[in-house]
Amino acid sequence: MNRLRLYRLLMGTLGVAIGLFGLSLVATFFMYQRPGSIPTIPTGPVGHYFVAFSGCALLGWSGGMIGAARDPLSSRSIGTMSAFVLALMAVIRMVAWIIGDYYVWLGNLPRTEASAFLLISLALVWLRPTVAESRAANGA
Amino acid sequence: MILRSLATLVLMGLLGLNLGLPTSSMTYRGSEDKIRNDVTSELLVGQSLPPLGLIDFDGQSVTREDLLGHRVLMTFERSVDW
Repeated sequence: MNRLRLYRLLMGTLGVAIGLFGLSLVATFFMYQRPGSIPTIPTGPVGHYFVAFSGCALLGWSGGMIGAARDPLSSRSIGTMSAFVLALMAVIRMVAWIIGDYYVWLGNLPRTEASAFLLISLALVWLRPTVAESRAANGA
Repeated sequence: MILRSLATLVLMGLLGLNLGLPTSSMTYRGSEDKIRNDVTSELLVGQSLPPLGLIDFDGQSVTREDLLGHRVLMTFERSVDW
């Protein structure tokens, strides 16, 4: 399997996974609005507002990734920005883990997720199309 | 290629930092049971109501003395403006 096919597979898988997660966050917001509901995420009204916002943003990101999986050569920057954002999310998890406020709730999960995100970010950096490939494909 | 190598260096550094972080959180507060045990001001069934001061919907203050001698139902609701 060549590099671009691996990149497309990775972006497609990530796109679907992130889309489903975004959808579940949006659904969490609506479920929370039911009278007497027990929140699935331990946060209040303000927290759920931002949960829904994050869910919508994830759906947008998911769309971009699926687009990049379909046509990787004309959407190279999505791979670059996804790698950057995944690294940023890893840093946030590392800080959350070491601060300790989330330990009782999540245990070592933030640290494990940080490792996974960094490895995916590395994969995106090396699998994404080069500038020369993108230019050649787009006739520039 | 240079940027790709730089990005790899940064990501590998972060990965190393993540794997090298202390094995237990620095400010680990313990399990929920431990936290509950640490809270000494917990009000138990049968204990006297501690002194309190609240503001009602009309802006009037309500103290424990106002409540004593009456049947009182206290409910706790999550706030919408926290």
